[in-house]
Amino acid sequence: MIMSEHHMGDHISQEGTDQQKKSAYTSSVYTIPDWLMASEIYEPQTERDTFVNKSILSVFSLLSKIKAQETNQALWYDINTPVNIAGTFLLLLLVALSKSFVFVLIIGVYLLAVLSTFDAPRLVRILKMSMGTTLFSAVIMLPAFLTGNSYSSIMIPCKVLISITIMGLLSQSAKWNSITGALKKFYIPDIFILILDIAIKYMYMLGELSLCLFQALKLRSVGKNKSKYSSLAGITGTVFLQSKEMAEDMYHAMECRGFSGEYHIIHKQRIRWKDIIFMVVNAGFIVLFFYFRSYQ
Amino acid sequence: MIEIKDVSYSYSNSIVLDKINMNIAEGEAVALMGANGCGKSTLLKLINGIISQDHGQYRFNGEEVTHKKLQDASFSRRFHQKIGFVFQNSDTQLFNTTVYDEIAFGPRQMGLEEVEVEKRVNDCLSLLHIEELKARTPYHLSGGEKRKTAIACVISMNPDVLVLDEPMNGLDPKTQRWLVNFLQLLHRSGKTLIMSTHNLDLVQEIADRAILFDENHRIVEDCATKKLLENVELLKRVNLVDQYYHVHGEGEHKHYHDHN
Repeated sequence: MIMSEHHMGDHISQEGTDQQKKSAYTSSVYTIPDWLMASEIYEPQTERDTFVNKSILSVFSLLSKIKAQETNQALWYDINTPVNIAGTFLLLLLVALSKSFVFVLIIGVYLLAVLSTFDAPRLVRILKMSMGTTLFSAVIMLPAFLTGNSYSSIMIPCKVLISITIMGLLSQSAKWNSITGALKKFYIPDIFILILDIAIKYMYMLGELSLCLFQALKLRSVGKNKSKYSSLAGITGTVFLQSKEMAEDMYHAMECRGFSGEYHIIHKQRIRWKDIIFMVVNAGFIVLFFYFRSYQ
Repeated sequence: MIEIKDVSYSYSNSIVLDKINMNIAEGEAVALMGANGCGKSTLLKLINGIISQDHGQYRFNGEEVTHKKLQDASFSRRFHQKIGFVFQNSDTQLFNTTVYDEIAFGPRQMGLEEVEVEKRVNDCLSLLHIEELKARTPYHLSGGEKRKTAIACVISMNPDVLVLDEPMNGLDPKTQRWLVNFLQLLHRSGKTLIMSTHNLDLVQEIADRAILFDENHRIVEDCATKKLLENVELLKRVNLVDQYYHVHGEGEHKHYHDHN
């Protein structure tokens, strides 16, 4: 499978001794072995390469999702994050409590209008997430539908679709760091916000590390890998050790900077006309909720 | 050996490589230079097939390298055997439990007999003067030892081209000097070397040719390393050197220094 042929004669024979010509290139400190001076003629065995490729793709897609938030240009992106979070939870609550199919439909139409302002990749991401869970709930409700309980079996998947879409909208329209920052407005404990912030940051950093490790594995996986899972275990171990080291370093750095358990976040976003429109729309939904309370 | 024609690459709508053209012949030692974020590392990743160009053409040994071709396991493996990559951060390259296994990983992949694998590993260990690290865990080594192990695990596969991303980064002066000597030796033994570096003091000793990037992600100079280093105005324009005032002995004067 592997054959070697010498091709390095020129350089070495010009300035080398006879002994060097015969075997290896030698300097005062190093000796280059014969095999390293020969060009490798290598024909790889055939084996599909999906394991490493799939791992690279999955890590890369996670990193892209986190990074994509930095370049988000959607109209919805501008909305003040605490207002956005409050609106999101209000809608979730109203949809969950409503017994009116008309009200749920109105929320659905509103969400469609909002989604139309998103770019295609984000739209696909939100719909993929919501359609998948809706399909799952529809399958669960199928026996109820077949036994004649058509109202609940249609209503529940619709509510699932709308609820997941609402959450998808929030995750795609607000940066993760602004969401954790906004939690402070809702009196979430500092330590919880800090842990959440660090977790998100490390997800990205360790994700990048795993991506590089998978790339390094791919570059050196030039043949049949009989121990794919041991390589995977090696990568997992390295990431784990690295995370432990990073956590220790950060703990020491925080101590050096006088961290006392308080985590100050200054929320600079101001309420603008977009936020006011958003709040008015949400107030409208409260009115509609009560208006359609008696309708099914 | 390596032909890059009008290659462009963007990430999240920002251009990282803009119409890059260069040819590298077999046996050359080439340094890619430029300020941080100018696209050197991206180009090295592209040369190694980790990423693929959005536009343009990349040929290796006369054969075009595309994203589609790299999906073909047979082509990808042949290509990756021919071209070895030493990452900037050695931690991201070492995933085996011992240094021995790390170096043996590539030759074992290539289906070599265990006797031949052992010979290669021992040769690499002695070539890099890391015999005593054989049974150690790569993760617990020092920065210099990790870099040596990372180089050993790449050269054990005997690639024709060795690509190094900032090889001098994080090394003490003694290890830097060792690495310069080692790369010179590899070059003299016929390997093609491509590296990115900021180290203006040592680059001339490793690379005959230097390719300079500007902050617009384009190549602005491709010439002999010595000639490039003499063009201080150009280095200053691409933000690779700076000018500052300080006191030497009796008086104040200005001079250039690199950002290393």
